[in-house]
Amino acid sequence: MPERPLVRICYVEDDEDIQRIVRMSLERIGKMTVEIVTDPMRAIEAMGAFKPDLVMLDWMMPGMDGPTLYRKMKELPATQALPVVFITAKAAQRDLDELKALGAAGAISKPFSPKDLPEQLRAIWKKLP
Amino acid sequence: MTNLANGSAELGAAAGITADIRDRADPRLVLADRVEQLYSQLPLGMVATLAIGVIAAVELREGRFIELVLFWGTLLVVVVALHAVLYQGYRREPHKIDQAAQWLRWLGIGAFAAGATWGFAAAVFFPSHADERQVFLAFLLSGVISGGIPMYAASWPVFAAYAAAIALPFTYVLATFGNRLFAEIALLIPLFYGATVAIAYRLNGVFLEGYRLRRAYGRLTEDYRVLNQRLERQLVELEEARRQVEASGRKLALFAERAPIAVLELDGSGTVQEINHAAEILFGYASSELIGGPVTRLVLPKFHAEFESQWQRLVATREPIAGLKVKNPRRDGLTIVCDWTVTPLVNPEGTLISVIAQGRDITAQLEAERLKKEFTSTLSHELRTPLTSIIGSLQLINAGVLGEVPKDVTELTDVAERNGQRLLDLINDILDIEKIESGKLTLAPEVIRVDELVREAVVLNKGFGDRFKVRFEPRGALSEARVNADRKRLLQVMTNLLSNAAKFSPEGDVVEISAESRDGSLRIGVHDRGPGIPEGFRSRMFGRFNQADSTTSRQKGGTGLGLAICKRLIEMMQGHIGFEDRPGGGTTFWFELPCLNDR
Repeated sequence: MPERPLVRICYVEDDEDIQRIVRMSLERIGKMTVEIVTDPMRAIEAMGAFKPDLVMLDWMMPGMDGPTLYRKMKELPATQALPVVFITAKAAQRDLDELKALGAAGAISKPFSPKDLPEQLRAIWKKLP
Repeated sequence: MTNLANGSAELGAAAGITADIRDRADPRLVLADRVEQLYSQLPLGMVATLAIGVIAAVELREGRFIELVLFWGTLLVVVVALHAVLYQGYRREPHKIDQAAQWLRWLGIGAFAAGATWGFAAAVFFPSHADERQVFLAFLLSGVISGGIPMYAASWPVFAAYAAAIALPFTYVLATFGNRLFAEIALLIPLFYGATVAIAYRLNGVFLEGYRLRRAYGRLTEDYRVLNQRLERQLVELEEARRQVEASGRKLALFAERAPIAVLELDGSGTVQEINHAAEILFGYASSELIGGPVTRLVLPKFHAEFESQWQRLVATREPIAGLKVKNPRRDGLTIVCDWTVTPLVNPEGTLISVIAQGRDITAQLEAERLKKEFTSTLSHELRTPLTSIIGSLQLINAGVLGEVPKDVTELTDVAERNGQRLLDLINDILDIEKIESGKLTLAPEVIRVDELVREAVVLNKGFGDRFKVRFEPRGALSEARVNADRKRLLQVMTNLLSNAAKFSPEGDVVEISAESRDGSLRIGVHDRGPGIPEGFRSRMFGRFNQADSTTSRQKGGTGLGLAICKRLIEMMQGHIGFEDRPGGGTTFWFELPCLNDR
């Protein structure tokens, strides 16, 4: 478990409605600082500037999907150590296995409950080394 | 030369047949025939005896021997009368065939008695009378012996006894008379006797043969008649069988002809023998275009090699193939997909008669399945995303994240959130059912302790119970047995059963959960005090989209798919699910799973 509390979250998501809900949930209920990135092509750049504690990636996005972005992050020194949580509408066992193989910190399935989202993220955070 | 040889061969065959036929005569019947013939001649013999007797008595009546002639005449009459009695007795005999030997013996005795009467005349009257009377007597006696031949020829021993009774006394008298001529005649009489017996023996043989043949032919005629009757019956049966075979053949032909599926008959080399109307329509060929040609015309060229090896295997093993999906080119160039059932027809001797191929066009069905899959995927991804926004927004408002909201507003946002959730449940359930039914759902079994599973389910569903003011409580000691099952899916089943029980329980009630293991089987029960299951609904309990009362789903939620999913999940885990009325009212839903042995 990391010593500092979970505060800074970077969320890469193309759907503006879900962006708004996640921002409200994490800021108002979780009292966290949130940076939303709409274009996955610019995500790495944004992470470098924002320096998040944890990154949330949507699975399916136009241009570049979540797993591809994650592999890219792993190649760059600035982002390779960041813990990543996937938000996905896929729920099949095969997909979850794939996420684990990628080394993701966790997965939250859509639809998630914005009321419980901060708690879910903190639970994942606590399990990190 | 050839003709001659043939002729003698035919004669030989005929003789063989005659001997064969003769053996068929029943000896009992042949004997009875001979006895019948002997008795039928008896009246003639009696009349002749009386007539000759009267003439002899008149001729021999001389003063000194009148008493002796009278005595002899009386004796003759008595013998004839006894013969009459014998004749009457035989005529009245009901068992002539069985008693034939007995009646022959009686006749033999009668014949001997008649002969002895004539012998008496010879012994007594020959010495006492003058020369001309002696000539008369000699003539009379030889006539009486000769007359006996046709009378008794059907049985030569009878004739031999009759003639001996006459010849012996006569020979004796002639030999002892003291006259040289008479002594010489006495030597001739045994010769005469032997000759007549020999003739009688020959005649006996002829009669025997005749009667045997008559009986044999009678038997043959009877056999022939019986055979004819049997043949006639068999002909009728054969005709009936032929009609039945013809009728079932016509019926079969109709089945194939009118069937909506394509039917092809092929020979062992894969040449088309016959096709039905549906096949013509399906592939666009006239039957005359396909019959006589290779069936590979209906197989895409790139699959010819594969088809050939499969065909060789079919012809070798003679095992039918079902569910064979093949891409078949039509005459117009389009390709359709058919589901084929291929059945080799083998006769009882193991010879391949033909191969029947029945094909069903499943092109449209496959397209429908593809569309369904596409739709399911759309449902999964495109519906969940907007629902995430809808439910998420409402949850944030209802959780008070935006500060104080007027009560009227939260009432409505509550309704909206609940129904959004319901829509989501429905989508999830439909996806589950679809996944299970298409065989795409894979389970992740792990070893689970049953008591822990029950407690986890109680905790998970506490919130739902609170909504209906119902408490979930374990009943008695929970089994600590372990099962090998998918934890997430088992919890889904438990959640379904608990939420159903909560929905139908009266407010403030307790839903009990039991877990017992017995004989290697675990049984989990969920017991409620609800209104029970209506009689007419019981059989459809685990069907899809079934709810006893459709207003329930509007008031309390639920998709009508929950129990259908539970049943399929439990069965995938080698278990059973069911329900029963609970004593004292309410219902118990239960499921059973095999438990692990090791402790």
